[in-house]
Amino acid sequence: MTQTAEQQKHTSTGQDVLVVDGLVRRFGDLTAVADVSFRIAPGETYGLLGPNGAGKTTTISMIAGLLEADEGSVTVVGQPMGPTKVAPKRHLGLVPQDLAIYPDLSARENLTFFGRLQGLSGGGLRARVAEVLELTGLTDRAKGPTKEFSGGMKRRLNIGIGLLHQPTLLILDEPTVGVDPQSRNAILESVENLSGEGMAVLYTTHYMEEAERLCDRIGIIDSGTLQAEGTRDELIRLIGGVDNIQLTAAGDTEAAAEALRALPPVARVDADRGRLQLTVHDAPTAVAQIVTTATASGLQLSDVQISRPNLESVFLHLTGKALRD
Amino acid sequence: MRAALAIAGVELRRFVKDKGNVFFTFIFPLVLVFVLGSQFGGSASSGTVTITGPASDLRTAVSEQLEDNDVTVQLASHDDMLEQVARGRTDVGLIIDEEAVTAYSDGGSAELEMIASSSSTSSAAQQHVRVAVSNLDLQQLQLRALEEAGVPTTEASEALDTAAGQVSEPTLEVVSVDRLSQEFQGLGQFDLGASSQLLLFTFLTSLAGSSTLINARRQGVMGRTLAAPVSTLQAIVGQSFGRWVIAFFQGGYIMLATWLLFDVDWGNVGLSLLVLAVFALVAAGAAMVLGSVLDNEGAAVGAGVGLGLVLAAIGGGMAPLEIFSDTMRQVAHVTPHAWGYDAFAEIQRHGGGITDILPQLGVLVAMGLGVLLLGTWLLRRSLARSL
Repeated sequence: MTQTAEQQKHTSTGQDVLVVDGLVRRFGDLTAVADVSFRIAPGETYGLLGPNGAGKTTTISMIAGLLEADEGSVTVVGQPMGPTKVAPKRHLGLVPQDLAIYPDLSARENLTFFGRLQGLSGGGLRARVAEVLELTGLTDRAKGPTKEFSGGMKRRLNIGIGLLHQPTLLILDEPTVGVDPQSRNAILESVENLSGEGMAVLYTTHYMEEAERLCDRIGIIDSGTLQAEGTRDELIRLIGGVDNIQLTAAGDTEAAAEALRALPPVARVDADRGRLQLTVHDAPTAVAQIVTTATASGLQLSDVQISRPNLESVFLHLTGKALRD
Repeated sequence: MRAALAIAGVELRRFVKDKGNVFFTFIFPLVLVFVLGSQFGGSASSGTVTITGPASDLRTAVSEQLEDNDVTVQLASHDDMLEQVARGRTDVGLIIDEEAVTAYSDGGSAELEMIASSSSTSSAAQQHVRVAVSNLDLQQLQLRALEEAGVPTTEASEALDTAAGQVSEPTLEVVSVDRLSQEFQGLGQFDLGASSQLLLFTFLTSLAGSSTLINARRQGVMGRTLAAPVSTLQAIVGQSFGRWVIAFFQGGYIMLATWLLFDVDWGNVGLSLLVLAVFALVAAGAAMVLGSVLDNEGAAVGAGVGLGLVLAAIGGGMAPLEIFSDTMRQVAHVTPHAWGYDAFAEIQRHGGGITDILPQLGVLVAMGLGVLLLGTWLLRRSLARSL
């Protein structure tokens, strides 16, 4: 796929494709989004990582102009966005979390309809529909009703509709939810290809692996608040580069925990029913000393696991809970 | 406008693809028109007379006389005739027995027994029978007078026929003064049922179709539509226009099919289409309201069918408004069906023009705009609800 003139223009000027500034949205007493701000540069893939109910979809709804923000602003390619704005929506391609397709229409009919809404017509529309069918691997099934498609095929069509008009910014809201591993991998590859071709992508997910694989920068969102933002390495540095060691053992774990806390590399020890969870500096070096101390404290070790920090650790560190909670 | 047309086009495409819609939109209304017309539809004749008795010159002569006066004549056994009279399926039962047949053949005095039903048009039909029998009696007297003067029977008959062609006879026109009979005078057997079913089904299909709006909203298609460069107004106009096209298309189909199959007279077709167009506007608006208020497709279909039937029953879509009491007729005009019924009645039965149906059109347009505005407001709220 080649870059559109619109994409080239924004790539060459370096102007941010999306600027989100202090977004707030309340539903009655509930503040779903509280002061969220971030920017996306041309060709950049930005991930919003957070558990279900964190405020990702509400944020996206405001960015796509579907929902009015109570406070703050959204600017798309330099143009203010809102429910009554039509022009900036031309630059957006939205792939909603729900399968927003007509199940009783064929893939071709769905693409043609949404292409018309984007202002495409005639031969140009037919050509783009054919390209997207090819891109999503649905050419052979173009005429059948989409209700007969597998979950993965529907997801691919859902993404294809968002790509139809070659937007400057593609918004993907949890596009791999409920998809088999093979289709999931195909979707992730497609997103990697798109960002390689200069399209800016806003990708929301609660899968840490997807965010790590796809995103240039990641915003960690929880309870409607952007907790941290940066590249993967920047985010991991936020928790001080500590590692985790988990010991599974029989014996007096409380006494062993006391002894382990006295060791210099150990920052924290949590004991829980035959398990000891240690936060340590430089785990590969410290593990021998930790095992020796634990054994000397009377523990009979049955398992030792070392884990290096990842986005899950960052999320746990920032919010005190796991991503899938 | 292009976006609104695209939305309307896709709604129409989805409607046509639904096999269930094909039956309920195109086949079922015609079946009902036929059934209702066969059961209850009056013919354009001046009543129905059922004759019982053996085949004879007298029976043939009476039948010819009645048919000359646009009376429908049926033949039946004695028991069947009595049942038809009792059930009001015929206006008059006429018994021509062997004795009467023999007397007529011999030129004597024949007595015919007539049994009247309790229908409103029975009196007029009885009068037609009396006129027919009087005419036969007169012919018999004339023939006998000529025969007694020495003219052979064949020549006498020919002379009477010739004279009948040269002399303009005094005629007796039987007019029914019954209000209902006058109202339905000249209406074909299927005419009334066709217009009623058109109103019923156009509205009912639109309301039941509101489920597609809920479906589009729930599945996120409406949200995706509004994330495209499409304004809320364009989306709403597109949805409403789609519903309107479906309603107008179905109504137009019923008009064409009933004209071709049942010879239904729609009067001034242009005016009838205008009434249909305005009525379809109300139906489309009502569908928008229902589709915005409810969040469940099944509930929308159920409520749409139920509401469509109730409104049609109140508004003359199932039984003629003319048989309603005055109070119920006033109540009926709360529904758009009653105004549509009145407009079609004016066009079909009285040859009414545009000025004659202006009041009905005005009320329907006002109703249409009212429900469309309400539907627009409710749809905006429902979109916010679904996000």
